[in-house]
Amino acid sequence: MKKTAYILLGISLLAFWSCKPKDEFDGPDLNDIYGDFLINQPLQISDDNLDFANGEVSNVTVGLSKNVNWRLEITGLQSGAKKIATGFDSQIQYTWDGTTTNLPMFHIESCALQLTFQNQLDTLRDTINVSSLRALEGFVLADFETGLNPGWDPFVQSGANMSFTIQTNNQAAQGNRYYDMGGTVTWDWLIGLLHIPASAYGQTTLPLDENASNVYFNTLLYKPESIDNGLVLFQFREDDNGDGVYTEGSEDLFSFQISPATEGWAQISKRYDQIVTLINGNEGAPIGNGLHEPNKIFQVSVLFLANPTSGYSQAYLDYMTFTSGSPVNP
Amino acid sequence: MMKKSNTIYKALYTVALLFIFQMCFAQQEAKKVTFNGAARAQFFGDRYKLNAAEEDTITNAKLNSGNTLVDLGINIRPHSNMEIQGLVRIRNDYGGFWGAGVSFDVRQLYVKGVAGGIVRYQLGDINYKLTKYTLWNNNQEIISNTPAIFQQQTDVVNYDHFYSNDNSWRQQGASAEMGLVFSKYVKELNFYGVATRVKTSDFGQTNDRIFSGLSIQMLQSKYASIGWTATNTFDIEGTSRQNSTFHQPVVTMNANFKIPFSSFQNSIDIEAGKSGWFYKNLDAAPNLKGQFLDAELLSRHKATGIFGSVQLKYITSEFRSTGAQTKRTNYDAVPVAYQRITNNQDLRQITMLDLMRESSLYNMQLQTKLMAFSPQYDNITPYGDATPNRQATIIKLGYNKAGSPLNIESLIYTGSEVKGEGTKTFRTFRRSDTRAQLDLSEFRNDTTRVAEVSVSYRNDKTTRAGTEAIPSVDLNTQVWSIGADYEWSKNWHVLAGMQMISYNGFDFKNVRDQYGNIYNFTEMKTDGEEKMWALGIKHTFSTRSFLSIQYYNFELKQNTTDGQNYNFGQWMLLFQIKF
Repeated sequence: MKKTAYILLGISLLAFWSCKPKDEFDGPDLNDIYGDFLINQPLQISDDNLDFANGEVSNVTVGLSKNVNWRLEITGLQSGAKKIATGFDSQIQYTWDGTTTNLPMFHIESCALQLTFQNQLDTLRDTINVSSLRALEGFVLADFETGLNPGWDPFVQSGANMSFTIQTNNQAAQGNRYYDMGGTVTWDWLIGLLHIPASAYGQTTLPLDENASNVYFNTLLYKPESIDNGLVLFQFREDDNGDGVYTEGSEDLFSFQISPATEGWAQISKRYDQIVTLINGNEGAPIGNGLHEPNKIFQVSVLFLANPTSGYSQAYLDYMTFTSGSPVNP
Repeated sequence: MMKKSNTIYKALYTVALLFIFQMCFAQQEAKKVTFNGAARAQFFGDRYKLNAAEEDTITNAKLNSGNTLVDLGINIRPHSNMEIQGLVRIRNDYGGFWGAGVSFDVRQLYVKGVAGGIVRYQLGDINYKLTKYTLWNNNQEIISNTPAIFQQQTDVVNYDHFYSNDNSWRQQGASAEMGLVFSKYVKELNFYGVATRVKTSDFGQTNDRIFSGLSIQMLQSKYASIGWTATNTFDIEGTSRQNSTFHQPVVTMNANFKIPFSSFQNSIDIEAGKSGWFYKNLDAAPNLKGQFLDAELLSRHKATGIFGSVQLKYITSEFRSTGAQTKRTNYDAVPVAYQRITNNQDLRQITMLDLMRESSLYNMQLQTKLMAFSPQYDNITPYGDATPNRQATIIKLGYNKAGSPLNIESLIYTGSEVKGEGTKTFRTFRRSDTRAQLDLSEFRNDTTRVAEVSVSYRNDKTTRAGTEAIPSVDLNTQVWSIGADYEWSKNWHVLAGMQMISYNGFDFKNVRDQYGNIYNFTEMKTDGEEKMWALGIKHTFSTRSFLSIQYYNFELKQNTTDGQNYNFGQWMLLFQIKF
């Protein structure tokens, strides 16, 4: 029994010997609370003249004496586009690939870079030049850069102050042009519409993946200040039977509507299999075979609507695309 | 008025019922029904004085309070293998004549017995303990080893909160025990099981929460025993609309060996285990997995009475044990007596005087999170032996011999954290604690009369090196006490005592979220002193009853900006009888 006791005591001592203190700690780092804030490694930008079209990226690095909440803002001096990144680090390493947080997208322009730190007075600044724009993936349905496609079929009510024109100015979300939809129609919800058939691209149906859960419809919408009554309805007509025409009432028509909520540009992205059949604004039973078949989209329509009693309404539309796998990353 | 009358009627009705029971059973068989219980009368006369430049003109200088109570129990033994105990408390607060301030509570109710001559069981209110890492009611800090005069008030608080000397927790539930005796290889195999409810469902977002424990102890011989203990605190799914359920298991192994060697009696105690702390169906909650190892080698020289021990501990910061880490003292509570003082009517901080006498500061329910503690009073073992995030060596040396008037024990605790808090640098802890008791009755003609002197001194030090930016931790606490109990005439005692705590220094206090994660630290600068002395007379009517009158003087001095400085004078009259 003595032997057993000594063996167990020995095992215990060995266990104590193997009990290592931990090289980590509980709770927040006291150095982050009490430590002096110092910039140990100044702001460095790996590439300040970015050729995004050729896949260039820029690495922004800063070394600090402690972890802080930081905020990086890259602002297009011409477009007003903003890329915002935040984090809590002492070694900031951020890679900018030309994407945008706040629309519009970046132009070929100079950008101001600003790095700020919570509860610290220091602000680090620099400039970056964008020499070419990154190529966006996906099938571009309309970016309005070359005007209205002759194959498109617009319809505009004869109301008051009707616009439905392509505007060219710095307000465009992408490039320099966007589609301005506006007017007052007192007898109907519909103010105007734009039919975009696949035939405008020399196809019977749009050249998209057949897997609806892999296809995203994307667009950029702008809500002008103080205009809250606009409704944008997107319709997707499918040629279910493949006869080269869309037959009303017997083939699928999937739709979704958006009432722009926040002022300015906003990105709208919908996975195609999540777009439903709308009947008078409410979800209803499919009209055709009920299958979401993006490769059978015959026509996309954009309808701009407003309550006839609500007065003037307006919204801008830009950069309608279909992407695969994920929403567009502007 | 109606409510008061109802309370009185209830009390009278119950007492009458108890008498009827007594008479009925007494006629059937002798001692089938017995009465037990206790009675107590306690009165305080407090005088408060603020020690500040500006006089406190708002707080009353004097306050009288007290109560009289009877715990009336009935013990029924329907047959030799069953016992039913019921205890009701009738309490009347000081000034509560004619029913005002009267309360009437059921204080204890249980059934216990032996089923089939094999399984010992108890249902209802049960006191239970397992091991120091699984289910153990640690003594409250500062006032647990005080001179006899201070112990009287502490005993009252402990009695009211069911804190027993055996460190068991009073819970409501069921327990069962059984043992097997063998003729070869193993002497005994004992099984212990307990299940209690620690939280009641509100049928909304709170599930029923159960504490359960199972222990198997194998006694191999008088020289060796080995055991396995498991506890689990868990929510019962479906008892509310809350989908997430809490689970806190602890599993330990323990062993004890007695190894006689020459004239030394040696023993080895080892306990090791692991714990979990997690919620099912709640991603936000952490999943804590902790371990501990505790081994002690104790040696005692039989002839001289000198003993010593070396204990090693390693407890990770993630170790959690609901049954062993729950504190008696609730430091989030506030004292009832003189709750607000000064002209600003600031909340009064908890002092050792309050720890000694304030019922409102004490907790009776097992808690699943680490409770708040007072670093000034105990920064080293705030959760007893199972305090997490500690690795330590504890060396004890003492002298204790039957028949010897002197009893002395010293302890040195040297340890550190296992995992830093807010930094990778560990706090280091050092405690030296000495207690001595001298029985002077040996030197008197009448050795049956008590003449005792007790002295104790404790010095705690917590340190952690800082950096240029982070303040270093340096917190010191000193506690010393001296007391005397002198029976100058048969059953007449003079009691005197003094206890002082001084604390100063700096440490960071953890701020924990709802799951016990540290998410912030607050600075704690402290520099203060608490002094308490008391003088009293006690007359013992028997070993079970006494009357005591005492005067206490308490002084708090704090040298910090938000510190409080005041004096309390307190008269206390205490009569107590147990029957």
